[in-house]
Amino acid sequence: MLSNLLEALYNKVIVNIVLKRSSCDVYIETCSKKAVVNSQRKTFETIQLNNRVLEFISSYTKESPYSYISILDMSPDQGAIPVCTKSRLSEYKDLDSYEYKCFNEKWLYFTLKNDLYEIEKRYKEIGVDFIFSPFTLLHNFFEDKVNSHLSLYILVQDSFLSLAVFENSQLMFAEHLDMETSADDEMLSQIMDDEEIDLGESSSIDLDDVDVIEDMEDLEDFGDIEDLDSLEEIDEFSESQDIEEELYEADEPIIESDNNNFNEDYQRFSLIQSSLGHYYKDKRYESQFVENVYIADGVGVSGDLKRYLEEEMFLNVYIRHLDIPMEVCALSKEELGL
Amino acid sequence: MKYSYINPKKKSVFTQEIQLLLSFFSITIIMLLLTYSFLLYKNYSFKQDKETLTAQKIELEKSFSLMEDKISYIEKQKILSETIYTKNIVLKDSIANLFDLVPLRITLSEAQLLKNGLILYGITPNKDIYNFMLQAPLRSIFHRTYSSFYPAKDGWFRFVSTNYIDNQEEIEEDE
Repeated sequence: MLSNLLEALYNKVIVNIVLKRSSCDVYIETCSKKAVVNSQRKTFETIQLNNRVLEFISSYTKESPYSYISILDMSPDQGAIPVCTKSRLSEYKDLDSYEYKCFNEKWLYFTLKNDLYEIEKRYKEIGVDFIFSPFTLLHNFFEDKVNSHLSLYILVQDSFLSLAVFENSQLMFAEHLDMETSADDEMLSQIMDDEEIDLGESSSIDLDDVDVIEDMEDLEDFGDIEDLDSLEEIDEFSESQDIEEELYEADEPIIESDNNNFNEDYQRFSLIQSSLGHYYKDKRYESQFVENVYIADGVGVSGDLKRYLEEEMFLNVYIRHLDIPMEVCALSKEELGL
Repeated sequence: MKYSYINPKKKSVFTQEIQLLLSFFSITIIMLLLTYSFLLYKNYSFKQDKETLTAQKIELEKSFSLMEDKISYIEKQKILSETIYTKNIVLKDSIANLFDLVPLRITLSEAQLLKNGLILYGITPNKDIYNFMLQAPLRSIFHRTYSSFYPAKDGWFRFVSTNYIDNQEEIEEDE
């Protein structure tokens, strides 16, 4: 009773820390019960909690005893699975060493316990109050979209990609990709592919063994190309497009691509491509054809990524700019009931 | 809805500094209250003592006057006793004198000491012995002396001697 009364007298200070590859964004919002009193943002060229960061944070947190520190979970070993019942968890992942939480009893997000301890240890000087999963952030950011038909949602961060397929608010598939480690994996897999090709070439193919007539029959079936020209199907395709989102997107400025962006965007594209392939192939997930992709852009992707996805994978791509620290702040406010 | 993996830490207005400050204040206030209550108690007990002492004082004053009364009464008694003592001495002397007056041959059977007189009853062998040996000294002491005789069976005489001393005032009046 007394504590509630005292709480009402003070403003709440929400400190949101989002780590990037070599810097960290600190966004601080001072809120009263009804409105935002003050907001401040600063980027520090460090990922450590040094004196400058501490000073900046403590200059706000000392104003009110009700100050909360929110962190977006950046650990590579995290994800989400489309079930919430304990008996079915093991089908997707062994969650013994993971901390997990159900979202609306529909799906579940998880992260490694050790990573949580690591975060708490790293920020022990200021104390961490909330650690959010990027998947909840993605869900909340596209709350107006996830409850509709099946689409792919991607949260693009500096060095991470969080992909999730939602249909009617139900998660179908999710993957959290670390661009740095994935880049290495990809290089490795590329080398492996090359080796396979070499092997293929070295092994001789006996062309005489190929039954040309049988193959021709298959080709005839395939040759009914006129079916594809029917207008109906084109109409269906266009129905799935999100006109509203396109209008919204048209207002946003398109970022010109430079060489660095191009590389990163290509890397992102290939990660998305392989991840979607994973979704289609893995029998544990109810795979359906994805037509729309919504990208929550936290870093400023160039038009290249959109072009790649549209041209290479025939997807309708919608990019929405996302201010990650502000979204983390929104999650904190929801937690605090503000 | 809860999104976070961890629960927020309990927030309290009472930071360590404030807790320290509050504890100091509360200790001070407690000490002040204790002192205040102690003083209240002392005040009360002093009042009680004062009332008791006042009551005692009144009581003592009463007993003092009572004692003064007693003292005056005792002083009166003392004066009276002294008077009586003096009178008794006088009486004793006068009785001793009386018995000294009485010769051996005369036996007294009764003597009545009056305020201003003496009545003697006794036996004398004869009237002369009485007249010379007893009546003569009695006459010198008392102003008026009356004697009467009546014979006893053995030939002796029983006598009654009535003697009076007239007061000086009466004498003066008479004069």
